Amino acid sequence: MRADKTTQARFAWPANPKLKDAGSRLALAAGVLAVVCVGAVSAQHQISLSGDLQGKISYCKDCHGVSAQGYNGYYPIPRLAGQQPEYLQNQLRAFIEHRRTNNIMFNVAHSLSPAVLSALAAHFASLHPPPIGGAPHQLVATGRRIFEDGMPEVNIAACAACHGPDATGSGQIPRLAGQLYPYMIKTLGNWDKERGRNPTVPDAATIMSPVAHSLNKSQIEAVAAFVSTLR
Amino acid sequence: MSFRPPQRQRRRAFRSPPGATLILPAAVLALSFASPAAAQDNVSKAEVEAKLHYCEVCHGVSAQGFHGYYPIPRLAGQPTEYLKNQLQAFVERRRTSNIMFNVGHVLSPAMINALTTDFNQLNPKPVGGAPKENIDEGKNIFENGVAQANVPPCASCHGPQGKGNGPFPRLAGQLYDYISNKLTNWDKERGQNPSQPDTSAVMQPIAHSLTQPQIKAVAAYLSYLE
Repeated sequence: MRADKTTQARFAWPANPKLKDAGSRLALAAGVLAVVCVGAVSAQHQISLSGDLQGKISYCKDCHGVSAQGYNGYYPIPRLAGQQPEYLQNQLRAFIEHRRTNNIMFNVAHSLSPAVLSALAAHFASLHPPPIGGAPHQLVATGRRIFEDGMPEVNIAACAACHGPDATGSGQIPRLAGQLYPYMIKTLGNWDKERGRNPTVPDAATIMSPVAHSLNKSQIEAVAAFVSTLR
Repeated sequence: MSFRPPQRQRRRAFRSPPGATLILPAAVLALSFASPAAAQDNVSKAEVEAKLHYCEVCHGVSAQGFHGYYPIPRLAGQPTEYLKNQLQAFVERRRTSNIMFNVGHVLSPAMINALTTDFNQLNPKPVGGAPKENIDEGKNIFENGVAQANVPPCASCHGPQGKGNGPFPRLAGQLYDYISNKLTNWDKERGQNPSQPDTSAVMQPIAHSLTQPQIKAVAAYLSYLE
């Protein structure tokens, strides 16, 4: 795994032992933190929040990769870096409410306080490591065509309309740029088995359901290969 | 964050079980298929239904509009003539949108008839979400214009309820940021093919005469109009 050292240093916390040699960058980081922490929150709360947060960030990165660039564990574990904070918060809530089924992520998410949850989302949104790569190159051109133009003759919408021309997402719509090839394939292939699982709490997952259905396996692989290469 | 999936409106024309409600739409369909052009260009209910779902992936449930990466406009309640004109404008590159060019150029005339009829009949609630502080100013501009800046009342063409008519689009319930963007970028998006001047020229001087705050106020007012 390749860490994005610059970004790590900028957003890691002073207690992080990896940062002993970070020098003036650390001073800047401390300054930024000080500003962030000034607010209505009490001094005592600041300390516990930053402590919790530091611990949580390391914990998330155990599975999601050193710079949250994603990691191929037993499952493909998605990239969180650069992800839209609103999307990240929505998904953490979806795990908690069993709208998105994943036992591991339910356990992870249900212990997060609202303050830590939004701080984590902001942290991951600010990271920009390069994509992991590894997708078959020969699929990229087809994937790009589907992503940018869709396939109107067979009613496949252009991904770019909602996910943006650079696949960076917007608000509740996730960034796909740099997402793991196998994660994209698994998620699009199993949409209805993983998303929108609580009929009493319908959510934005319903928007993607018909799109996931309209794509066949080779189209999914092509789109997955394309987005996995985007920075 | 606070996602409230709107209930899809029942599509009377294409989804109802056979029965009394089907008689009128069937008559309308029969009429449209009776014209010489449509006779050789048939389209099945299933094909129309699939295409409607495809449109609503981006334009939102019941075509009420959706905030994707771009603000994607409401089509519900839009006059069929305006919808047809715009689809043609995308295909002829008079209106620039790569995505909508691709969407538009595969549609047959019969499919366009069916889609525009369906969207015209929908009437979901506006998406909402615009700032509310300048709505009164927006209403005033919409109804009375800005005489000193030579801006006519929007209502004189778009109708007192903003429902549009024929080539004039419905603005009621349109997305706030969509209206703002269109009015701000009029010359970059509309009337882009000089060899084929079109009705977008009518709106051009008006878009120019409106200031940014006036555009925002009108857009906010319209975005809440049912």
